[in-house]
Amino acid sequence: MGAITRRSIVRGGAIGGIAAIYIALVGLYTKFADLELVGEQVTLGRVLIMAPGLVAAYTVTRPRIVAGERRSVPFGSGVAAASRTGVITGAVFAAAVWFADWFGVDRIREMFVSVSEVLIDFLTFGKGVPAGLPILVGACVVGGAIGGLARTAPANVRVPLSVGLIAVLLLGMLQRIVPIIFVELGFEADWLYSPSTGGLTWLGAAGIFAVAAGADVMWSRGGGRARERVRTSVREAPAARLGLLVAILGVLAILPLLLGTVISEVLGQVMVYVLLGIGLNIVVGYAGLLDLGYVAFFAFGAYSTAVLTGAFLNTTTGAAEPALSADLNFYIAVWLVALMAAGVGLLIGAPVLRLRGDYLAIVTLGLGEIVSIITASRWAQPLIGGPQGMRGVTKAEIGPLNFQDNPQHFYYLALAFVLLALFVSWRLAGSRVGRAWNAMREDEQVAEAMGVSTIKFKLLAFAMGGAIGSVGGALFAVNLGSLTPASFEIFVSITALAVVILGGLGSLPGVVVGALVLIGLPGLLREFEEYRLLIYGGSLVAIMVLRPQGLVPNIRRSRELHAEEVEQDAWGKDVVGEAEAVAAVLPGGALGVENEDLE
Amino acid sequence: MGSVIKERRSGAQLGRLERLPWRRIILIMLSVLIVSTVAIGAYKTISQQRYSADAWRDFIVLGLAQGSIYALIALGYTLVYGILRMINFAHGEVFMFGAFAAFFFSDAYEASGFLDSNPVASIAIMLVVAMLTSTGVALLLERVAYRPLRNAPRLVPLITAIGASLFLQNTARGFFGAQTKGFGVPTALEGTWTILGLELQRTQVLVFATVIVAVAALSLFIARTTTGKSMRAVAADSEIASLMGIHVDRMIVTTFAIGGLLAGVAAVLYSITFESVNFSMGFRPGIAAFTAAVLGGIGSISGAALGGITLGLLQSLGPALILTGYDVPSPFQLKDAFTFFVLVLVLIFRPGGLLGSGEAEKV
Repeated sequence: MGAITRRSIVRGGAIGGIAAIYIALVGLYTKFADLELVGEQVTLGRVLIMAPGLVAAYTVTRPRIVAGERRSVPFGSGVAAASRTGVITGAVFAAAVWFADWFGVDRIREMFVSVSEVLIDFLTFGKGVPAGLPILVGACVVGGAIGGLARTAPANVRVPLSVGLIAVLLLGMLQRIVPIIFVELGFEADWLYSPSTGGLTWLGAAGIFAVAAGADVMWSRGGGRARERVRTSVREAPAARLGLLVAILGVLAILPLLLGTVISEVLGQVMVYVLLGIGLNIVVGYAGLLDLGYVAFFAFGAYSTAVLTGAFLNTTTGAAEPALSADLNFYIAVWLVALMAAGVGLLIGAPVLRLRGDYLAIVTLGLGEIVSIITASRWAQPLIGGPQGMRGVTKAEIGPLNFQDNPQHFYYLALAFVLLALFVSWRLAGSRVGRAWNAMREDEQVAEAMGVSTIKFKLLAFAMGGAIGSVGGALFAVNLGSLTPASFEIFVSITALAVVILGGLGSLPGVVVGALVLIGLPGLLREFEEYRLLIYGGSLVAIMVLRPQGLVPNIRRSRELHAEEVEQDAWGKDVVGEAEAVAAVLPGGALGVENEDLE
Repeated sequence: MGSVIKERRSGAQLGRLERLPWRRIILIMLSVLIVSTVAIGAYKTISQQRYSADAWRDFIVLGLAQGSIYALIALGYTLVYGILRMINFAHGEVFMFGAFAAFFFSDAYEASGFLDSNPVASIAIMLVVAMLTSTGVALLLERVAYRPLRNAPRLVPLITAIGASLFLQNTARGFFGAQTKGFGVPTALEGTWTILGLELQRTQVLVFATVIVAVAALSLFIARTTTGKSMRAVAADSEIASLMGIHVDRMIVTTFAIGGLLAGVAAVLYSITFESVNFSMGFRPGIAAFTAAVLGGIGSISGAALGGITLGLLQSLGPALILTGYDVPSPFQLKDAFTFFVLVLVLIFRPGGLLGSGEAEKV
C-alpha cells in the first residue's frame, strides 16, 4: 500500500519549516498579523502560520505512481503522516524562533529588518518564547492534519470540506467589498461581517461554510447528474447560452453601482490590465511570441493619447505646451493611437521576427526598457515631459459622464473597450488567422511548409497586440489625467505577462480571471501592496512548475504544454485514444501525480 | 564539407531574399541611419572639443573597469546558456545576494575598525562570503525553478526565470529593507596609484587584477580539468555525454555553481566601485552582462570577456561621444538605453555575436 517513507515526511516537513522561516523573514507575518478573517482569533497572519505545514503535508500525502499505477494514500495513515509532517514543520519553525530569541532580536534585525519583538510575540501567540512555542508547533500540526485531510479523506468528505473552507477564506479576504454589496442591496451585513474587526463573525463564517459545502454536496449528488444537466443545457440550447451571456452582461452593468467608488476604482485598474492581457495574449498565447517589452505599447498609447488630446507638460515653472500637440476628441484620438501602435508593432516586429523565441523575448525586453528610459529622460522633456511627466489629459466626457473624476463612469468606458477587445480577440482566434497562429506556434517549420506565411502572421500578431495594448494605455491616461514615467516601467510588462500566464496562455476567460486575481485582490487588500511583485514572481514560478496551462486553461495550449505526459500516459495504458489521454491530464493532472521513479 | 554547407546556407539565404526583399531593405536603411547618426554625433563632439584628453582617458579606464565586472557576470550567463540553451534571467539577482552578503561583513568590519586595519583580510573574507552566498542562491534557483522544467517547451523556463528574478528581488527587499545602503571601502583603497605612467583609481586596479585572475582560473579549469572537459562535453551534446558516462545533472549543477562563484566576485567588485548596495541593483547589470554575453557570442568564454569589455567601453564612451554632439541634455541618463540598443542591434545584425558564426540557430 502506498506507505509514505520516513524520509519523505522529514524532507517535506523540513521544507515546510524553512518556508515558514522565509515567510517570517520577508515580513509577511507582521504585515498580516492584524487582518482579521473570522472573529478576533483567526487572522490572515495566523492562517499563514498554518499554511506551510498544510502545504507540506498536502504534498507529502500525494498519490504515488507505483509500477505504472496511481496509488492514493489511505485515509488513516495519510492523516497520521500529515500530522507528523506538521510536527516537523513546527519543530523547525519553533527552533528558529527560539534561536532568534536566544541570539537577540536586535542583532538579527541589523540584517533582517522584519525580525522584531512584535514578530516573536505574534509567533508565540503572545506567550513569550518558551511558553508559546508548543502552541506554535500545535498550530503547524493542525495545519498538517488539515492538509492530510484535504488530500486523503474520502471524496464525499474532503471536497465539501475544502470548498467550505476556501469559501470562508475568500469571503474573509473580500471583507472590504462584500459588506458594501450587502448594504447597497438593502440587507443587513452586521451578522456576517463584524463592524469592529472588519472580518467575518463566527456565525457568518459558519453560515458561509454550510452554504458552500451544502451547495457542493447538492452539486455532486447522484453522480454529478445536476452538473451534467446544466452542462448539456448550456451546450445544446442556444437560448440558455444567450441567457447566460445576458446575465453576465447584466451583472457587469450594475456592478459599479453596487460597489461604490472605491472598489469601482480597483475594477477600473483591473479593466486596464484585462485589456493589456488580451493584447499580450494575442502575441504570447496565440502566436507564441514571448514579448517582454509590452510596456512600450502601454506607454505609447498613454503618451500619444495625452499629446493628441492637448495635455500639458509638467515643468518646474508650471504647465507648458508640448513641442507637438493636437487637440482631438478622445474618441477620434483613441482609434488613431491604436492604428499608430499597430504601425509601431510592425516596425518593431519586422527586423526582429526572424529571431528564435528566447532571443526575441530579450530583444523585446530591451525595446521596452529603451522606451521606459527615454520616457524618463530629460531628452524627452520638450515632447512628453520627461521626468516631470504630463497633466491635463482629456476627461473624454460624454454629456454628464465624466471618466476621470468618477471611477464608476470610467468603469463603463473601460468595459466597453474590454468587450470590444474580447470580441475581436475571440473572433480572431476562431478565424483562419487564429488557426494560422496555432499552426505556427505548434511548429513553425511545418506551418511554413503547409503554406502559412509565418512572417505575415507574426507581424499581424504584433500589430494586433500593440493596438490593444495601446488602447489600454489610452484608458490609463484618461483615468489618471496625468502621467509620470514611474508608471511605465518593466513591472507593467511583467504584470501583464503574469496575468496572461496565471489565467492560462491563449485563454480569454483566463485573462479576466488572471487580472481579477493579480490586480483586483491586491487592490482590495491594501496590505498586499508591498508584496505584490513578490507574489507575482512567486506565482509565475509556481504556475510554470506546477500547472503550466494556467487556472482557466485553453485546451489546445495545455495539450502542447503537456505533450510529454500525454505520451507517457499513452505508453502506460497501452491503448488510449489521444482525446482521452488529454482529458486525463487536464484537470490538474500536473498537480496531482508525481512519478516517484523520476525523483 | 564546410564549404558545401556554407554554399547551401547561402543558397537558402538567397531564396529568402527573393521572397522578402523589403526586410533586407529595412535593415539596410536602418544600418545607414545608425552609422550616419553615430558618425555625425562623434564628429560634432570631437570638433567642438567638448571633453579634454584627460576626460577621455578617464572614460576609457572607467569603461574598462565597468566592462570587466560585466565580463564576470556575463560568464555566468554564457556557461549556463552553453549547457542548457537557457537564459538564466535571474542571474542578476544571484549577483545582488552576493553583494548583500559582502555588505553585512563590510558594515560590521567598518564599525569595528577591522576594515581599515586589515584591508586585505577583510576583502578576502567578503569575497569568500559573497561567493558562497551567490553560489547557494544559484544552486537553489537551479533546484527549485529550473530542474523540474528540464524538458519543458523552451519558453517555459524563461518565464520561470523572469518570475524567479522578480521573486528574489522582492525577497531581498523584504529581508533587508528597501533603502540603499552605503558600502564601506577600506581607506587603503581610496586615492590613486600610478602604474606605467597612468594614474588609476586604486579600486579600479583591484577590479582589473581580480578579473584577470578569475578569468584565467576559469579558462584553465574549463580547458584542463576533467570536470571542465565533462562540462564541455555536456555543452556539445548532453545525450551523448551521458552515454559516455558523464553525470549530466551534476555537470549542470557545477555550471550553476561556477556562475554563482563568479557572480559573487563581481558583486564585491561592483559594490566596492559604486560604494552602495540595494535590492534592485542586480537588474540592470544583469541585463548588461547578458548583452555582453550575446555581444561576444553566447556560449563562448572569451566572447563573454570580450563582450563585457566592449560593452563597458560603449557605455562610458557612447553617451559622451555620440549624444553630446546632438546636445542631448544629461546624456548619461541614457547610458542603459545604449546597452539595450546595442543588444537589439547585435541580435538583429549579428545574432551569433562578435566571435560567433554570424547566424543564430533558428528553431
